[in-house]
Amino acid sequence: MAVLANQQMVLVVVLIALVAFFWSRNHLFISSSEIGNLLTDFSGLALLSVGQMYVIVSGGIDLSVGSTVGVSGILGAFVMQDMLNAHYPQVEVLLVGTVICAAVGAAVGAINALMITKARLAPFVATLVMLSAGAGLSLVFTGGAPVGLDSTAIIFSASGVGPFSYPAIIIIVMVVILGFYLHASRYGRYTFAIGSNSFAARAAGINVQRHLASIYVLSGTLAGLTGMFFYLRLGSGAPTSGQDMELTAIAAVVIGGTSLFGGSGRMSGTVLGAFVLTVVTDGLIFINIQPTWNQVVVGAFIFFAAALQALRLSSGGLARLLRSGPITEEVSGGR
Amino acid sequence: MLHPRRFTTRRVLRGLAAASAVASTSFVALGTMSSNASASKPITIAFSVGDTGDPFFQTMYLGAAAEATKLHVNLNFQGNPALYSPATQLPYLDQILAEKPSALVVAPTDTKALESVVGEFVARKIPVLNVDSGDANQSNITSWITGNNIQGGAQAAIGLAKAMGYKKSGYYNVVVGVSSLTTSTDAARLKGFKTEIAKKYPKMHILDVFQSESVSATSTSDFNDVLSSHPGKPGTKGGVSGIFAIDGTNATGAAAALAGHNLVGKVKLIGYDAYATNVQQLYNAKTNPHGAFTALIAQQPYLEGQLAVKYAVEAVRHQTKGIPKLDTLPNILLTGNTPKATLAKYTYQAS
Amino acid sequence: MADDPVTHDPTTDNPVTHDRVPALEVREINKYYGGVHALADVSFRAYAGEIVGLVGDNGAGKSTLIKVISGAHEPDAGEIYVDGVRHRWRSPQDAIEAGIETLYQDSGLAPDLTIGSNIFLGREKMRRGLLGRLGFVDQRAMEREALDDLKRVGISVPLSKRTVAELSGGQRQAVAIGRAISWARKVILLDEPTNNIGARQAIEVLDVMRSARAQGLAVIFISHTLPHVLDVTDRIVVMRLGRVVRDAPTTDFTAENLLSTITGLDELRPPSTSPA
Repeated sequence: MAVLANQQMVLVVVLIALVAFFWSRNHLFISSSEIGNLLTDFSGLALLSVGQMYVIVSGGIDLSVGSTVGVSGILGAFVMQDMLNAHYPQVEVLLVGTVICAAVGAAVGAINALMITKARLAPFVATLVMLSAGAGLSLVFTGGAPVGLDSTAIIFSASGVGPFSYPAIIIIVMVVILGFYLHASRYGRYTFAIGSNSFAARAAGINVQRHLASIYVLSGTLAGLTGMFFYLRLGSGAPTSGQDMELTAIAAVVIGGTSLFGGSGRMSGTVLGAFVLTVVTDGLIFINIQPTWNQVVVGAFIFFAAALQALRLSSGGLARLLRSGPITEEVSGGR
Repeated sequence: MLHPRRFTTRRVLRGLAAASAVASTSFVALGTMSSNASASKPITIAFSVGDTGDPFFQTMYLGAAAEATKLHVNLNFQGNPALYSPATQLPYLDQILAEKPSALVVAPTDTKALESVVGEFVARKIPVLNVDSGDANQSNITSWITGNNIQGGAQAAIGLAKAMGYKKSGYYNVVVGVSSLTTSTDAARLKGFKTEIAKKYPKMHILDVFQSESVSATSTSDFNDVLSSHPGKPGTKGGVSGIFAIDGTNATGAAAALAGHNLVGKVKLIGYDAYATNVQQLYNAKTNPHGAFTALIAQQPYLEGQLAVKYAVEAVRHQTKGIPKLDTLPNILLTGNTPKATLAKYTYQAS
Repeated sequence: MADDPVTHDPTTDNPVTHDRVPALEVREINKYYGGVHALADVSFRAYAGEIVGLVGDNGAGKSTLIKVISGAHEPDAGEIYVDGVRHRWRSPQDAIEAGIETLYQDSGLAPDLTIGSNIFLGREKMRRGLLGRLGFVDQRAMEREALDDLKRVGISVPLSKRTVAELSGGQRQAVAIGRAISWARKVILLDEPTNNIGARQAIEVLDVMRSARAQGLAVIFISHTLPHVLDVTDRIVVMRLGRVVRDAPTTDFTAENLLSTITGLDELRPPSTSPA
């Protein structure tokens, strides 16, 4: 029961089992090359999952992040391509591209924020609007074709320290910081409080609307940076990059044990969830099983995560019921 | 000549305009690339495609326009500037119908969805021709001019075998990337590829067929995994020797994976379609050592456009004798050693 | 208990006898919800070191009045004074800053947060140095001080690291009251603090209110439980249909006439029992 109650422990066990299984089918699964692939694919999902975690903890949802990845990557690629044609140094090009991608993501997040806090649309609806509009604009801007041709970017994204590519290192550091920030900062505390009981948060003097707005901007910015990450991987901005990834990110958060009702969850769970999903997707391809099975496996994971949560809730409720008598006695008025 | 996509105000404005055009279907005129259509009673050939933003269709427009000029007829070439879908193509066809053209050439975005509107053209005795894609019901279609996808797949197998230096003593793992197995063109190309291998190349083994669902990131992740699970030398059982990237997203994905694994030029990559960005990436040991593509299968959209207008005009003039019911054009194999002039000829050009 | 001679004088119902400025005064508050006149010219005062009972039937406007005073709702007309200074609330934060704490009938706490986090919600203790400037909180100090704060106002809970969701109803209420009292500087509004808890805990809550009064706070106690109101308050304000119908010292009321004032039955009888 104690082990079951800790979703992170369950995920670690699942992860070890998965890696052992794939390794048993093909020993090259634990090779520097494949570990590099796993870390890279994880990096593509990690920032989206982290952003989604903040949003879900606050009691919302952000369906727009996948489209934001596409739009930001494309707009960044347009600018980077023009700079490359004008023979700017590669480092400058990539830095400017990163800023543009982040800014585009932040702008999409700001539109979400306005729709949610000013027009009072439900987050599901507001971000669904941007999911659709963003995907459409990506195609409109590009006519469906990828933008740019930057092999230096690909090589940069593939080089690094051991299996850790440079972009993966940057993203992992960001994930760690954002994880600590969620759990140990005042900003994170407000995020949990709003998701747990927004009335109480407002009564405690928290500017709930402004905080929520900032969370959607954060989520958008992280999606924008993911757009830059995909540019580096592909050497071009592709309109379909990030497509459907909002659902994978939500799945990572849910598998990590976070309640979709908001107010609870651990970032370590989300990170493990994202890693489990990455290992499943890559592992199935690695051992040559039809990748279409991937979706089935992900569905099964979400089911078990939800079941675990329900079990924990009911066992917690049971425990409370059992001990409510004696503990109440401990509440005593002062003499 | 080559058309790098640029971030220009014009482009973004065009995009936004397109977005509003999608919203208000009456706004049809925006996507029009029309030559003068105001003369008293000349022949006007209406030409409807899915996506005028795609260089493939832009090249087709150039061929059609050249033929129209040659035959002294008007060309009304229309399509949504960005979205390839029957929902966006239908309003254009309605508009064209109202303008009563002499003939219609259409590249249907769906094999069935446009059948009723095409039927209205036929009912008004306007000849209808298909180009590139075709309607499911061909009974009313005067002619269908299209690239031969099965032949293209076969050509890819031949090109790949040649590039890999195929020998009967070798062992050649190849991987195929398609957008989706339910896409008819992808399926036909894959079929041609497989049939040719079964016929001629017993030592070529198709390791995997990946479906990218049009997402390059998925594709590159898939190719990365297969390159890691088969790290051996090309030409051996433990390595990957060749990749056939059937659509654009897989071409991008495979190229990125090869660059990341430092296997450009070692693992042979054959792509489909001679988009300028693809042609730029044709590998040549001397002139383009970073090029990811060993070869490209090029369709002939320019010729398709030309022939479509030619047959359409003949149909209007009731000279139906020379019009084939189905005209399949062969695909061309381009490599880094193909003469520049030939490359230029077959590269899809933005108009 | 250091009783304030002024506030405990039975004549306190007449504000003119006070030579002090009230800690809280509302004048002519009006609030409409659509066509409903939820509050009609509501005025009353609460002095430091005094417990004022605010009673009335359902729909009398008590909760609306609380929300107006705490800044959760904006009145359509009327004035709010704290220590004689007029204030306008744009948000609950403004009321909090002016020294008014509110315990809402329900949902005053974030159930997923620990006791310590709840006590300090909106007023987190930050880490020292760079980490604090970067926005990191000092959780350990908060958990420790939360226990101390609760003890000071007469509440002891087992573990401040426990989340509120893991507490019993009585414990939650104790934490919520403790939170409000430990932060209140002038006025504390308690909306049904003895609801949904056992009789024993209710008595403890009443004790906590007395200790708040002893600390010099103006306590406004909203309740349906008339024995509690009669037991603990110094003065009772009765509301009916959005209006204040009676404002008198608690000693003027019996259980019977308080009930009839609330329900409006008193108006049907000759006014023999109620002076003023």
